[in-house]
Amino acid sequence: MVKEMSSWRGVELRSRRARCDGVIDTGQHRPYLSGMIGYAASLTAAHRAFLLDLFPGDGCVLSSEGLAAFSADASRERAMPWAVVRPERRDQLVELLRWAEAERMPVYPRARGTGRVGGAVPSLGGVVVSMLRMAGEPVVDADDFVAEVLPGVITADLQAACAAKGLFYPPDPASVRISTIGGNVATCAGGLRAVKYGVTRDWVLGVEAVLPGGRVLRTGGRSHKDVVGLDLTRLFVGSNGRLGLMTGITLKLIPLPETSASALVGFADLASSLAGAGAVFRAGVLPSACEFMDQGALEALRLGPEGTSMPLAPGARAALLFKLDGTGPGVAAEMDRLTAALAPLSSVSVEVGRGEAEEMVWNARRGISAAAFRLAPDKLAEDIAVPRGRVAEAVERAREIGRAHGLHVLCFGHLGDGNIHVNIMHDRSHPGESAIAHQAADEIFRLAVSLGGTISGEHGTGLTKASFADEQLGPEAVAIMRGVRRVFDPREIMNPGKGW
Amino acid sequence: MVGVAGECILCGKCLEVCPLLAATGREELGPRAKADLCHLLARDEAGLRGADVARLAGLCLGCDRCAAVCSQGVDVPGLVAGLRGAHPDFKGWLWKTWLSHAKTLWPVGSAMAGLVPDSLRPERFGPLLKMLAGLRDGPGLTPALAPFLTPTSFPDTHRGEPMLLFPGCTATHVRQRWLAAAHSLLHGLGVAILPGDFRCCGSGLKSAGFADEARAMALHNLAAWRGAGRPKVAVFCASCLSALRGYTHYIDDPAEAEVWRNSLILLSILAKDTVFVISGAVPDRIAYHRPCHADGAGSDHLLLVAALGDRLVESTDRQCCGFGGVMALGAPELADRVNARCWDQLAGAELVLTGCSACAARLDATAPAGVAVGHWLEVIGQMRR
Ligand SMILES: Cc1cc2nc3c(=O)[nH]c(=O)nc-3n(C[C@H](O)[C@H](O)[C@H](O)COP(=O)(O)OP(=O)(O)OC[C@H]3O[C@@H](n4cnc5c(N)ncnc54)[C@H](O)[C@@H]3O)c2cc1C
Ligand code: SF4
Ligand code: SF4
Repeated sequence: MVKEMSSWRGVELRSRRARCDGVIDTGQHRPYLSGMIGYAASLTAAHRAFLLDLFPGDGCVLSSEGLAAFSADASRERAMPWAVVRPERRDQLVELLRWAEAERMPVYPRARGTGRVGGAVPSLGGVVVSMLRMAGEPVVDADDFVAEVLPGVITADLQAACAAKGLFYPPDPASVRISTIGGNVATCAGGLRAVKYGVTRDWVLGVEAVLPGGRVLRTGGRSHKDVVGLDLTRLFVGSNGRLGLMTGITLKLIPLPETSASALVGFADLASSLAGAGAVFRAGVLPSACEFMDQGALEALRLGPEGTSMPLAPGARAALLFKLDGTGPGVAAEMDRLTAALAPLSSVSVEVGRGEAEEMVWNARRGISAAAFRLAPDKLAEDIAVPRGRVAEAVERAREIGRAHGLHVLCFGHLGDGNIHVNIMHDRSHPGESAIAHQAADEIFRLAVSLGGTISGEHGTGLTKASFADEQLGPEAVAIMRGVRRVFDPREIMNPGKGW
Repeated sequence: MVGVAGECILCGKCLEVCPLLAATGREELGPRAKADLCHLLARDEAGLRGADVARLAGLCLGCDRCAAVCSQGVDVPGLVAGLRGAHPDFKGWLWKTWLSHAKTLWPVGSAMAGLVPDSLRPERFGPLLKMLAGLRDGPGLTPALAPFLTPTSFPDTHRGEPMLLFPGCTATHVRQRWLAAAHSLLHGLGVAILPGDFRCCGSGLKSAGFADEARAMALHNLAAWRGAGRPKVAVFCASCLSALRGYTHYIDDPAEAEVWRNSLILLSILAKDTVFVISGAVPDRIAYHRPCHADGAGSDHLLLVAALGDRLVESTDRQCCGFGGVMALGAPELADRVNARCWDQLAGAELVLTGCSACAARLDATAPAGVAVGHWLEVIGQMRR
């Protein structure tokens, strides 16, 4: 679907993060929060007593220093909660949400707080629910090919439990070792393997959630197919904690690929690298990852030690990174086909990594995020996505936008699914530069939408991009989403202050 | 400002490695929360009180795992040490707790009672902390085991090379057998052991917030090294090694700092190609506990894998022993939870070997009945002639 530019026209885009990082935010200055009146204004003595009783011992945090630890997430947005609770059982959540609805107390689900858009930040004050103790050994069933898992389980631990039985849960956000499956489902996390295996959405068979008022909803189940009724399971995927608190998740699994191999291919320019990717796909090869790095990303890498160790020709101004997985002979045959497809093109270097050498090939890609800081001390990290055929145009134009503002803009990411990480490097100690960077980001958002894409392919819109989300979606869709939300949460207590 | 560190960007990378967060599910105890609290306190942004922040952030095992993975160079345990040092009540509390514990824990007349200071005796701090963690007096391994790894041939790599041996305070004061085994290995390797008057590495003091005392120890140890002509220094405790590496902060000349860093070498690296045979009564199921401060490759582990083969059935990787230094004094229940996870991983082993004096102390004190714990040096016997 091509998004209408008109929703952007004539709208004065509000600059996100209109304040310095780290300033305590009560939310009042955000115009789109106005009208959200009627919430509990603070925690009364009776509220406190209720929470302490329901979450005894260290299950309820009320001290300022304890609360401060739950005030921000990886977005560095910040607002102080009034209380933090740590449920260990579902029935505590049933009680909590019954109470919260009656008191109209804002409730914010929080897992590891690695979200990049302030999704777990208690923007209007209220109660943060830390899900980390709702964890335990996942049930991995090798006959049903499913895993039943509690939301606070770290995704990498789940994957390890699956791998121990020869099974595979493919979604692999870069934060896989530090984020939870509950957070991944709530944000519909994507990763490198999305090109072949899809994103979190494609693997969730069912959820159990506690809804405001204390109702418990179970959707889906172990069956891999199910067409009865509306797909409420999918509604929870990417719901950002706004429909209810997920307390159980059922996931689909597949056999664990036996092996993998990777290839790092250098090209003279971006256009030929994209032609290279096209040739590989046309040859019938579906890689499990297909990443690209633009000139800016390679420059940042070459300023540091990775630059000398990366197996890439010095003349390369763009690079592609392919990963193939499957059976041993299958991967070998596909790698032959991949290199053959690239042979007629003017690639400047091809390095295939198998076994231990495979890691070497990936080091460069892993290093980009940190290497970017060699160009400037501050960064705005955006994750637009466009139709695959428009990636070249999006990257060229994003770089142009950077040049026009005198900023380094580097692009890299998941070519295979059109998801481009755009890093806008700047120095906020230079007067006005932070505002310029935000302006560049606004232009890049508009660009993404004008190309038929979206302002966020992975991280979501949360607090930082709430107003942009409404603008991209348009009033009709927003109204319907709001209506849907009210079915689950009539008093809008779940994670309020984050758009729709 | 407290401590010296890069700026935390809240990326959460350190959340993966913090044993305290893993054991408690309390996000406010994780490294990111600590870094952020320090940031808020320093900028006076959330109306936080220094004493409260010090108390919460002070709940830290000082395992350094977070600092090792942070791409921004944030040194959380360093920040915590700064908070402890800056907080005036803390030292008084610490000494009071220490003395009252120490005096009741060891009967007068035991070797340990003699270590209990009446006033601050920094060089006694390290072993005392370890005793508070429950290290039992005596030569080593309980239940007692005779050494069962006998070296039969040594490589010539370091033959004739002069070196200092950094013993660390546990070996000096409580576990002389480690020292004897280290000497015997170095002799076998043909190393010319130089006399050196080293004191405690100072890590316990540093993380407890006694920056000046820790610095004085570091300067003493550096002087001993310079006096010996800046030779290589063999070390057999992972946390001592980590503290010694940190001495570069006390060396003004970057070239000399580099020489110092390069001079530090683990005994298990020196002994790498030594051939051992197994002799006598050997437990069937031996586990290795990897100290938080162990190096990437884990040369102790590699040495044991080579020498023990299939008998090495289990090893820890992410689990911390829960030693925790001064934290264990203030919040023993948290340290215990960390420790319990470590034992979960080690379940089934009859003998647990490690390469850190703090881990050896903590695991020895908490071992399930019938499980022996020791430094790997304790199972090394004399070269067969
Ligand atoms: C270094 C780094 C790399 C990253 N890489 C990627 C990437 O490659 N791909 C990607 O998609 N994202 C990425 N992210 C973003 C982030 O990791 C994901 O959004 C992740 O899914 C968040 O999980 P979390 O456990 O930290 O949840 P949190 O950040 O704590 O919460 C995220 C959202 O989920 C809600 N939530 C959490 N648990 C529940 C629950 N049980 N029920 C209902 N709602 C809940 C919260 O309210 C919040 O809105 C990255 C972040 C970092 C810091
Ligand atoms: S301390 Fe380092 S690793 Fe941890 S959140 Fe901060 S910047 Fe990230
Ligand atoms: S030093 Fe260890 S216990 Fe302390 S915050 Fe870092 S990882 Fe956690």
